Amino acid sequence: MRVEALLQFALAIAFIVLWVFVPTWSLSGVNYSVSLMPWGFVVRFFGETHVIPPPTVYAVWLFALDAGLLPLVWRRSRYSLYLATLFSVLSLSMLMDTILFQQRYLQFHGYTIAPTPTGYIYVSLPTKPVLGLPTYILLALTILSIFNMITRARWLGTGPEDPIVAVVRVLKALNIEYSRIEHGVEVGGVRIVRQGGSLWLVRGGEATEVDLKTAITETVKVGLRQPVIGVVDYGED
Amino acid sequence: MATNPFKITLLISILSIAIALILIWGTAQTAPNLIRYSTLSNAPYIKVESINVTANGVYIRLAIINNGALAFTPTGGWVEVVETGQVVNVTIINGTAIAKLPLTPQWMGPASVGVKGIVSGTLNGSRAYIAFFDVAPIHVINTICIADVSYTDCVLNVTLSVDTVVPVVIGPIINMSLFTASTPGYYVFETIGVVNTTVYAPAGSHNVTLMIRVSPVLGRYTYVYSCNYLSGFSKYTLWLPIGVTYMYPTGNVTDYILLTKTFVVGGGS
Repeated sequence: MRVEALLQFALAIAFIVLWVFVPTWSLSGVNYSVSLMPWGFVVRFFGETHVIPPPTVYAVWLFALDAGLLPLVWRRSRYSLYLATLFSVLSLSMLMDTILFQQRYLQFHGYTIAPTPTGYIYVSLPTKPVLGLPTYILLALTILSIFNMITRARWLGTGPEDPIVAVVRVLKALNIEYSRIEHGVEVGGVRIVRQGGSLWLVRGGEATEVDLKTAITETVKVGLRQPVIGVVDYGED
Repeated sequence: MATNPFKITLLISILSIAIALILIWGTAQTAPNLIRYSTLSNAPYIKVESINVTANGVYIRLAIINNGALAFTPTGGWVEVVETGQVVNVTIINGTAIAKLPLTPQWMGPASVGVKGIVSGTLNGSRAYIAFFDVAPIHVINTICIADVSYTDCVLNVTLSVDTVVPVVIGPIINMSLFTASTPGYYVFETIGVVNTTVYAPAGSHNVTLMIRVSPVLGRYTYVYSCNYLSGFSKYTLWLPIGVTYMYPTGNVTDYILLTKTFVVGGGS
């Protein structure tokens, strides 16, 4: 499991959990305020509280959850990263759409007028729109998912390159099917095993120490003849 | 692998975009049922509590009626009296709004006037304005009281403090008496009947003096026990039932009022 994908999941969870406590967007004021919570708009008006749940608000966190979860559940293909990006973008656009719902249907002009027995009362209720912290986390999630999509979730450095990974990369480039084994890779009947600082070529019962160049040529030679099912995270096209 | 990941991705993408579009459309459709309208209930309002017409001016007292959980705190405002056209700012004294207007001749006519205006203030911390129009009866307040009394050589001098909206004629006096404020009390003099002494006072605040020669000449039932204060007594009470004629433009109104004054003679008690 890639750390990059875990980070994406962590951001999605952080967004949803934080949203339960902090509104993603709000109109703040003294006697009138609107807060966008995961269950809808919470409108406060002189001590009264009403919840207005536009259906799109549920899509915001459902899509965000998908965007975080999918790269962990579906690890075989890089398409899962593409789909996760789509989900995060959809989540963000549903959030924007929900905020637009307020602008369209819960529009507030900053005052209220009420009749009284001898006239009327005008109350000025100025409000200030505020984007909450969860929105910024959702933005970060979207950016990270795009970045993960572009880099196939490989933007974190992994130290000096493993010679086995070098072999695998060549095999993949040549569309040779392979399988990962412990400390090595297997193509057909040939295994390349790393032991300490050296590479061992195992064919049948005999093992010979080889350099990286030989290891690659030998695996390619075998691989072009014998297909084997190979598995690697986000490896398939 | 049997299924193509590209196909799966395409399928899920189209599906999720379709879900998003349906949700946006559905939200727009259900919006009129989701939203609800709310207005202030039991909002505070203004009533004209009293209009007092006095010689010093007209005082309009506005009552702020907070009949809900919402508390309105006034900070300023203005009123206009419809009948006289006077516009004046209100002043806030201990949370009540009071407007003071100069007294003009128009105030002598009507029994009630219409007052409109706006009071500004804060409602639960929010800036608010209450506009009102109210009709309220006028109370004309005229005060007449005894300011000072002296009695020497059978001559009674009574200084009256007159505070009236209209000119007044004070008099006649009916059944006045001066007696010691002691137990038992002793009469200095006593009259039974009408003493036709009158004095005129113009509108406004003035002091006028009634000078009455207390003697049997005043009438058949006048009892004078002493022409000066009684020796040994320093505290006296003057009992002065008197007629007052207010000269309103609409006609004269005569009232009978009782003026009393308990006073101390010679600085002692």
